[in-house]
Amino acid sequence: MPSAREAMANRGDDDEVCPVCKSSRYLNPDMQFLINPECYHKMCESCVDRIFSSGPANCPVAGCHKTLRKARFRKQTFEDINVEREVDIRRRVMQILNRREEEFDSKRAWDDFLEQREEIIANLVHGTDVAKTESDLQKYASENMRSIRANQALEAQEASSFKEQQTHEQELARLRREAAKQEYENERRELQASREDVLTRLAAGRPGDAAAIAREGKKVLLKKSSARRSEEDRIRQKQAALRNSDARKAGQGGLTADKADIAGDSGLIKGLKKIVTPEPEKPYDPFGGMVPNKRDYYTLRDFYPSSYLDPIRQDTRMQAGGYDLQEYYSRTLMEAFAGLGCFIDEEVAQRDDAGSLGVSRPAATQGAAQAAVSSTGTPEAS
Amino acid sequence: MIEDDFYRTSSQYRLWSFTAASLQAQRATTNAVASDRVRAAIRRAQEARRSATSSATGTAVPEVEGSTSTSTSTNHPAKAEEKPIECLTPEEEQQTVSYYCEQIIQLGEAYKPPLPTIVRATAIQYLRRFYLTNSPMTYHPKQIMPCALFLATKTDNYYMSLRQFADGVPGDTTAEDIIAPEFVVMQSLRFTFDVRHPFRGLEGGIMELQALAAGQGQPAPHLAATQTPESLQRGLLALPSSSKTITDRIARAHHTTREILKSAAQITDVYFLFTPAQIWLAALMLADRPLAEYYLDTKLGFPQSSVQEAEAADGLAALRPKLLRTLSDCAAMLQAYKPLASDPEQMKTLRRIIGKKLYHCQNPEKVNLGGAGQKRIPAAALASSAAAAAAAAATPTGGVDSGASESEMERLAKKRKLETAAESSSGSKDIFGGELVMQRTKER
Repeated sequence: MPSAREAMANRGDDDEVCPVCKSSRYLNPDMQFLINPECYHKMCESCVDRIFSSGPANCPVAGCHKTLRKARFRKQTFEDINVEREVDIRRRVMQILNRREEEFDSKRAWDDFLEQREEIIANLVHGTDVAKTESDLQKYASENMRSIRANQALEAQEASSFKEQQTHEQELARLRREAAKQEYENERRELQASREDVLTRLAAGRPGDAAAIAREGKKVLLKKSSARRSEEDRIRQKQAALRNSDARKAGQGGLTADKADIAGDSGLIKGLKKIVTPEPEKPYDPFGGMVPNKRDYYTLRDFYPSSYLDPIRQDTRMQAGGYDLQEYYSRTLMEAFAGLGCFIDEEVAQRDDAGSLGVSRPAATQGAAQAAVSSTGTPEAS
Repeated sequence: MIEDDFYRTSSQYRLWSFTAASLQAQRATTNAVASDRVRAAIRRAQEARRSATSSATGTAVPEVEGSTSTSTSTNHPAKAEEKPIECLTPEEEQQTVSYYCEQIIQLGEAYKPPLPTIVRATAIQYLRRFYLTNSPMTYHPKQIMPCALFLATKTDNYYMSLRQFADGVPGDTTAEDIIAPEFVVMQSLRFTFDVRHPFRGLEGGIMELQALAAGQGQPAPHLAATQTPESLQRGLLALPSSSKTITDRIARAHHTTREILKSAAQITDVYFLFTPAQIWLAALMLADRPLAEYYLDTKLGFPQSSVQEAEAADGLAALRPKLLRTLSDCAAMLQAYKPLASDPEQMKTLRRIIGKKLYHCQNPEKVNLGGAGQKRIPAAALASSAAAAAAAAATPTGGVDSGASESEMERLAKKRKLETAAESSSGSKDIFGGELVMQRTKER
């Protein structure tokens, strides 16, 4: 492709002249023109070598004071220099503003973003408000370094996976073709073999058998071909399933890749989705927010004076078994107040209402019924 | 309040707490269902006996017997109503149960050493819970009572061997008789053996009162700002009193409260209607009202201070009037209790109820409970049960359409058993069993 384009360019511009050294293609057919994206002034290869070999220098075109470097000279892709320039600008802007559709809240926001990008490109191409646009762009680039990187990586990944998929598909197609060819070959060979077989048998057998042998041969052929056909069908189905699963796998790969982007908010682009970072997990609370020793009705003390309990503190026989008076205190006090504020007449009535026709009654009768059933059942079992 | 939430998780709160109305309704339903059954069962028994005497040939095969008896019952329904069977009323049932609850206390006293109060109390509650869903007409309390007590010795961790226990039970009850209804009892208790008693709570409260008296009391968590141990002690000592010292007073109140909890709290319905904390506080109120009220004040805030701190003492002050009302209800219920034995008039009616009426309206199909009694079933009972099964088979939903309960279910079970037996006998002709499709439609 490049050679063809070159040839076309060469053919079309026979009388092209280097604007720097004024040498013409007519005299030097191998002449190559290069441009620098700083100012897009065209000059021939020998001029570039001559002027910029010893380091950066000013553009030799009169009136252009841009400093150019040799490294950035390249061949022109498009004939029209304006197109070339626009493509360059577009590429640069696209690299910076490389947000993806899934990063936006809505379709509308994404469209706005696309429009904004086009506007920036147009500004840069047509030279309107260049300074401000450039500074915005730079600011955005420095602020969103990470998301830009991430999106670039994603794009690269997508491109590579797409390429991989394509090669994979091609490979599969090739294999299929080969298999088909092989099959055809096999079929042909078999046909040949069976025919020969019939012929040899005809030659060897008696004349009376001829018709039978010919019929038999035909039958065998038919059977073989039908078996082959079903075999083919099976293989084809398998291949189709394989293809489907491949496609699915590729789709999944794409999805997972999409998930991995990171983005920050920027002033330039509106309507980006808020990135929600999950809150760090709290340490496990076995009591579910309840304070284990919190009580509402009483405060537990370490010691209660009691003529019954005091001797226990000194009694080694009781203490030896691990008896703890503290446990007794906490249990008795808990039982003293557990349910003090439960008003059964209200709460049970509410519960019965909530349970529609009373929870306790049907359950109770059910229990009794079960009791009755099993009381008849148990004597038999025992 | 956190303590209340602890109580709300208990099975006593979830399954065995009722409002006064629902408790009454429950008892009425149990009574109605049971008396319907008893009438039906007695009628069947009578008819079975009558037909047994009339047709001497039919007695050999119970199935034939059953079919004839159903035909007679359908042909002569008027005959059965000749003599109306008098069943117990719910009140009489309750009296009977109460009597046997007192018997539990006495039976516990008879052992050496006497059974702990808590074991007896648990047994009483088991018996009361059992007779919420069962009627004394179905299961005689005389059989259930020792079983409940024995079960309580096990659940309250007071070990006694069954033999040892049976020796203490008066009459010629054997060990087998005692444990025969055990499974029935456990099922009716819905396998919830935990009974929350007010006894330990009382100990805790008295313990704290003594600490208060000694000036070592800790103010309640929500009132720590307004109360100090010293102010609490001063308040306690300032109560109008007749006893010499405050410890003396507390000890006396403790004793009286305990006596109330041992007797009145057990025989009345307070366990079903109130929480243990409310029960012991109500009992303490009966024993020493100023002391109980002062103690409540230390917990809920004093009335005068609660006006200012109504917002601060989140809900405690709001709890106060409601709690006082509940406690006085409970106290009234406890006070209204009189031991049955103390009232000769009551005893007389009771003797009539239990001795005569209950004897006549016992459900004849329920006389044998355990496996031991299975061998000596009277022929009449056997015939009547077969008749019952046949009758149930004839009218699929059963004559008494009062929902699934006790003997209804039993009858259905018998019917099922009979059906399978019939199927197996008739199925001998068909080597491969009945048609599958038919069976499936039947199941549906």
